[in-house]
Amino acid sequence: MRQRYFIPTLLFACGLAFTGPAAAGVAIVGGTVHTVTSDEPLHDAVILVDQGRIQAVGASLQIPSGYERVNASGKLVTPGLIEPYSQLGLMEIGGEAATVDARVGVATIDASVEPYRLGPGFDVQYAINPASTLLPVNRVDGVTRAVVAPVPGNDPLAGWGAAIRLGEGEVLTHPRLALFGQIDAGAATLVGGSRSAVIQRLRLALEQARNYRPSRYRPEEGDYRHQDMAALQAFLASGAPLVLTVHRASEILQAVSLGRDYGIPVVIHGGAEAWKVADALAEARVPVIVDVLDNLPLSYDQLGARLDNAAMLFAAGVPVLFTAEETHNARLLRQVAGNAVAEGMPWAAALSAVTRRPAEVFGLGEGTGTLAPGAPADLVIWSGDPLELTTWAERVMIDGQWIPMESRQTRLLERYRDLEGEVPFGYR
Amino acid sequence: MIRSRAVLRGAVPVATLLLVSTLALAEVAREPYASTYRPLPAEPLLITGATVLTGTGARLEGTSVYVVDGRIAAVGDAIDAPDARVVDARGQWLTPGIIDVHSHLGDYPSPAISSTQDGNEMTSPNTAGVWAEHSVWPQDPQFPLALAGGVTTLQILPGSANLFGGRGVTLKNVPARTVQDMKFPGAPASLKMACGENPKRVYGERNQAPSTRMGNVAGFRSAWARAAAYRDKLVKARGDSEAEPPERDLAMETLVGVLDGEILVHNHCYRADEMATMIDVAREFGYRISAFHHAVESYKVADLLAAEGICSAMWADWWGFKLEAFDAINENVALVDGAGACAIVHSDSARGIQRLNQEAAKSMAAARRAGIAVTEAEAIRWITANAAQALGIAEETGSIEVGKAADLVLWNRNPFSVYARAEQVYIDGYRYYDRQDPERQPLTDFDLGQTARGSAR
Repeated sequence: MRQRYFIPTLLFACGLAFTGPAAAGVAIVGGTVHTVTSDEPLHDAVILVDQGRIQAVGASLQIPSGYERVNASGKLVTPGLIEPYSQLGLMEIGGEAATVDARVGVATIDASVEPYRLGPGFDVQYAINPASTLLPVNRVDGVTRAVVAPVPGNDPLAGWGAAIRLGEGEVLTHPRLALFGQIDAGAATLVGGSRSAVIQRLRLALEQARNYRPSRYRPEEGDYRHQDMAALQAFLASGAPLVLTVHRASEILQAVSLGRDYGIPVVIHGGAEAWKVADALAEARVPVIVDVLDNLPLSYDQLGARLDNAAMLFAAGVPVLFTAEETHNARLLRQVAGNAVAEGMPWAAALSAVTRRPAEVFGLGEGTGTLAPGAPADLVIWSGDPLELTTWAERVMIDGQWIPMESRQTRLLERYRDLEGEVPFGYR
Repeated sequence: MIRSRAVLRGAVPVATLLLVSTLALAEVAREPYASTYRPLPAEPLLITGATVLTGTGARLEGTSVYVVDGRIAAVGDAIDAPDARVVDARGQWLTPGIIDVHSHLGDYPSPAISSTQDGNEMTSPNTAGVWAEHSVWPQDPQFPLALAGGVTTLQILPGSANLFGGRGVTLKNVPARTVQDMKFPGAPASLKMACGENPKRVYGERNQAPSTRMGNVAGFRSAWARAAAYRDKLVKARGDSEAEPPERDLAMETLVGVLDGEILVHNHCYRADEMATMIDVAREFGYRISAFHHAVESYKVADLLAAEGICSAMWADWWGFKLEAFDAINENVALVDGAGACAIVHSDSARGIQRLNQEAAKSMAAARRAGIAVTEAEAIRWITANAAQALGIAEETGSIEVGKAADLVLWNRNPFSVYARAEQVYIDGYRYYDRQDPERQPLTDFDLGQTARGSAR
């Protein structure tokens, strides 16, 4: 039994190796390169890419013969952007249930049908759709990888999320990447109404999962089923992060305690009031996934929301990641990061929060999110400062391959940009 | 829509103003629901050395703007104003106050809890008789956040569940105890209409009309037909003392206001083909559409919209949350503008309203990426002058011109930069917000002692 649970552990550690067609070597020449391995950029630098990975980066490198030369002078080059909390690949049209696979257990219109109950046993990996139109829309704006998170249905624990690459071909890179859940007022409504009951349920479940034996576990009404308990036990053995959506300061501390008591690497998602407990988060090295623009007192969990949350967390030494918090527009990550800078976060830290930090926190593989030698060659050539609004991605490379700078949206633009063209619209 | 210039132009000396507000308490003849907004007395102001985006398409470097009694008195480079408070704005940018044509602040306030959800009267497909202003909670903590983003004027609309959602209202973004104290004097009321998925979904799920798009259109047409008949009765009763006036019907009164050209139509409509249909509905019954909102497909019919003189209020990049939003493209705003139609960037969001300058910047960048030349001086109109045009207040605000209200935003740098922040925000010449001065950062009652900002003081 124990051996069975080793499999996800290994997958988590290594990821699924992406084996695309081997591209010829590429040399990107003359750009200002932010490797995100240091705060200072390299000017007029050369990046060599071979076999899908960064081969070397430096100011004066020999370019091997046969390499494709790409001129990036006057441009900025950074690692590709990584969205650490999305439903990319699980959602096509938000309002159409048949195109959304991000959750289970939602009541249907037919009230006689009991909603399917599944908590930590849910795993999104089998539904991820590589043909989703959202992938090209976001990658042409520089998003190269994403964490795909389930959304709570009828249990505070939503299930296992995965990581994907936004390149062509296979997209799933890390199944069973992290367990996701929610411990705010929304979760409370799923367990009778009190936030306290959410924490109690979580602690009880983790306690039970430690000692779970299928033959001895007799779930009662409302308890986790075998599928959930097996998943929780596997989770405890995996060392994978537990990502908890939570905003209120006091509950963020509950999440920190939970991580400490059960030896779980906890990641806070949301964290509108995280700035109030920044020191505790820093001390426990608990990372926070922040939507910088989430400054509204939108609920009684978020009365302390403020625009400079990320800047304050960073100053206190908390590992900060950014999310655009909007699956269709993961591409807005850079606007989010730019606003963090406007509110006082150092520029280099903000770039790291959308590249290196998420790769490190989720264990996406050595070097991922940087341009260090050996890292997967995910990079973007920008027309200027990528955290600005008036710049854009000129070329995007994922795992060493240039992606086509085309999406459904670019096709629509080409069809309609000239309303007086001679070719009828349907044939453009 | 004919508005008296005198009503709009409230340039009254300070002393008179104080007198008027004292007398106002005793005044009995005030029209019900009329604006009670009065500009706050403000000393003369001279902002010097700014880069000015006028909202008329011009960019003026190193320019000064002189404000007296809440109005723009002069724009130039050598203005002599010894009586004025001088703001040295070298290196800073000055724009007209930002205007959001699509907001639900006050109607859908924060915190978003069941007791505050007052934006959608989802009880009948035609609720043209409800007025959004009667749901506005002036203590919504989202108002000051929008002010910090430079928003000086905003239209509060009912939601889009119904074919006719009700009347919208244009507000000054000033801290106030009553909604009447926020109402933009002289601004016409509006009628919110909604095409497409929302009304047919809301009522279709209840097995009532409309449940299809054709049901939507039949619902529009039958209501307008009734309104035309109601109006005929009114006209007849006015000219003939024998004729019986119709029994008062609040919904019909709103629709008749549209037919009479006094109330402006703001039509939620995503799809290009549905816009064309709504233009035909308007043609059949003889009314004008001021703007299509959430007009994600305007770029497909930009020529038609230009010919009809209809504004499009658009997002920079929202897409995909429902099928009718699936064809959004980031170049939408620029393509509409380029076709000679009126282009507006709107928010429909308590988040987005705080950063309409950033939304406009993204639309501008998308255009440039596609090889369409757009300058900051042109793009600022999307969130100022064009918005004022759609709301029928362009004679009063939306641009920096002599005689206009001094609704101004001073930015610490180019407002199309993500790093820009509003330093000072003026409404009728009064400094309602100052980033450097906590005493000029308003807090709502709700903020006090509990939100992040309320705790900070």
